[in-house]
Amino acid sequence: MNVSIGIPNFRAWTAIILHRPHDAATAISRQLERIGVASRTVWPELGAVDAEADIVFFDADHGYDGQFPWVAGAAPMPLVALLGSEAPGRVEWAIAQSADAHLLKPIGSAGVYSALVIARHAFAARNALKTEIEELRGRLRRRPMVARAVIAIMHTERIDEDAAFRRLGQMAMAARRSIEDTAEALVARHGSADDARDSA
Amino acid sequence: MTRRYPIGVLFSRRGPYALLGRDAFDGALTALGEINDDPSFPFELTPLTGEPDGVADRYQAIADRLIAQGARHVVGGITSWSRKEMIPAVEKGDALLWYPCPYEGYECSDRVVYLGACPNQHIVPLFAHVIPRFGKRAFLVGSNYIWGWETNRVARRLLDDNGGTVLGERYLPLGREDVDRLIAEIAETRPDFILNTLIGPSSYAFLRAMAVLAERDPAFAPERCPVVSCNLAECELDEIGPAAVGQICTAVYFDSIDTADNHAFLARVRRRLGAARRVSAFFASAYMAVRVLAEAIREAGSDRPDAILPYIPARRFASPMGDLAISGRTRHTAFAPLLATIRTGNAFEIVEKAPQAIEADPYLSDYSGTGPAAIPATGRTPQPMLRVVAT
Repeated sequence: MNVSIGIPNFRAWTAIILHRPHDAATAISRQLERIGVASRTVWPELGAVDAEADIVFFDADHGYDGQFPWVAGAAPMPLVALLGSEAPGRVEWAIAQSADAHLLKPIGSAGVYSALVIARHAFAARNALKTEIEELRGRLRRRPMVARAVIAIMHTERIDEDAAFRRLGQMAMAARRSIEDTAEALVARHGSADDARDSA
Repeated sequence: MTRRYPIGVLFSRRGPYALLGRDAFDGALTALGEINDDPSFPFELTPLTGEPDGVADRYQAIADRLIAQGARHVVGGITSWSRKEMIPAVEKGDALLWYPCPYEGYECSDRVVYLGACPNQHIVPLFAHVIPRFGKRAFLVGSNYIWGWETNRVARRLLDDNGGTVLGERYLPLGREDVDRLIAEIAETRPDFILNTLIGPSSYAFLRAMAVLAERDPAFAPERCPVVSCNLAECELDEIGPAAVGQICTAVYFDSIDTADNHAFLARVRRRLGAARRVSAFFASAYMAVRVLAEAIREAGSDRPDAILPYIPARRFASPMGDLAISGRTRHTAFAPLLATIRTGNAFEIVEKAPQAIEADPYLSDYSGTGPAAIPATGRTPQPMLRVVAT
């Protein structure tokens, strides 16, 4: 995978630290300040305004379902889990929140910067994949339409299947549309032409 | 009875970067000597030393030993690699590390006081000076560890943001001197300038080979295609010889600084170490590390890290590079970076100086591509940093 992160810059970012008042929360906010990120500590539940933060660090030790104003796994920003206990139940809960990175407690004076970089990247990569999968699913759903368009072209232009598919590709390219959109338009036109013939 | 505080002084005086190690070591010991001779300090500092021979993996064990012997402070480390090795030792031993060298940033340990420049204080002002004068096509050479990697990474970004290009990026293992292939590639790609983050003998061999290339082809003379460095020091110039003349460097200190404070400092150093003694930024920063430490101990009445830390950001410290302020937030020092050209006789002629100290920005958080703090050419109006208007 080609990963280029440039010189990551988090200036103007706002972070929420979802943790009861504690050294861990203080250490994170101290590191964030040095990196140029404003932060506030919130406990026990995130409010609607907190959902506008650019990143959330959440306590996985004392965290519970219902702390977040979104469905588990659907956070609108990158999440970093703060783990004190590495017991599988707690790790599992952190995974269920879709943590993009994690930090082990106790928190010292390092770790937050790389967690920011990794979480931002993982979040972006996850969203890009989600978008791509949705798009591919959409194309899969419309495959019968492409088949109908190819058959239509074979009929009207009296060419074989391969040539018809290439023809469809050329039409899509010329119209700067996807194969699926082009196929749909073609089938619609073809269908209405057939209707016109039938009624004639 | 005089109170004695043991201070760890941990530099490699042998090995691939011995010249820098010895210079920093001498700087620390000079300050120790001055403190001990000065009756206004009601204590003595006793140096505890170790010799890692330039081998990174030895630093942690030696730092552990110095701390076990009673040192609550270790002044030490030239390479970032050695600093990273010492941090666990000072964390575990409730001690502080005083690091006196320019480095690549991206660190802010609560256990380190940083007295060297980070990228917004070295490579950024260096490129702001070099790009408008020489062009935007650069070749990057470095020693194969984090200092070279990360500094070149920042360099790449600075060039990208100014529409420049990187014609090559090549690394040599620490201590290696086989630079022929590097030189051949440079001769072929014909950059506008070369960024050199090599250290020690690799750097000296490279500069000598560049001088040979320039003799063969004047297009590679420093007036047309300079080698620019962030870590070349006075103590190395004699070793390199006349080959470095004309090349460009940035540092937070050059011994050519023409101020009364610096003249007084040099006179004191030369009384102790001989009239011919050259002094570099590594020396000056290690010297200042011990001075700041001693002054903080005097004010706190203790050498305990938690006792002295509040005193460090609370005031400025007189130094040969001007008054120094150390941030309580980042524990990094604000510096007014200098740019110098190496002249015959191995003097750094200062050609540009930042009008005021630039606060360290270890994560380059304030870098926006076009607008970090300006460092104007001497006598010119400040301009936005790195906005290259004409080429």
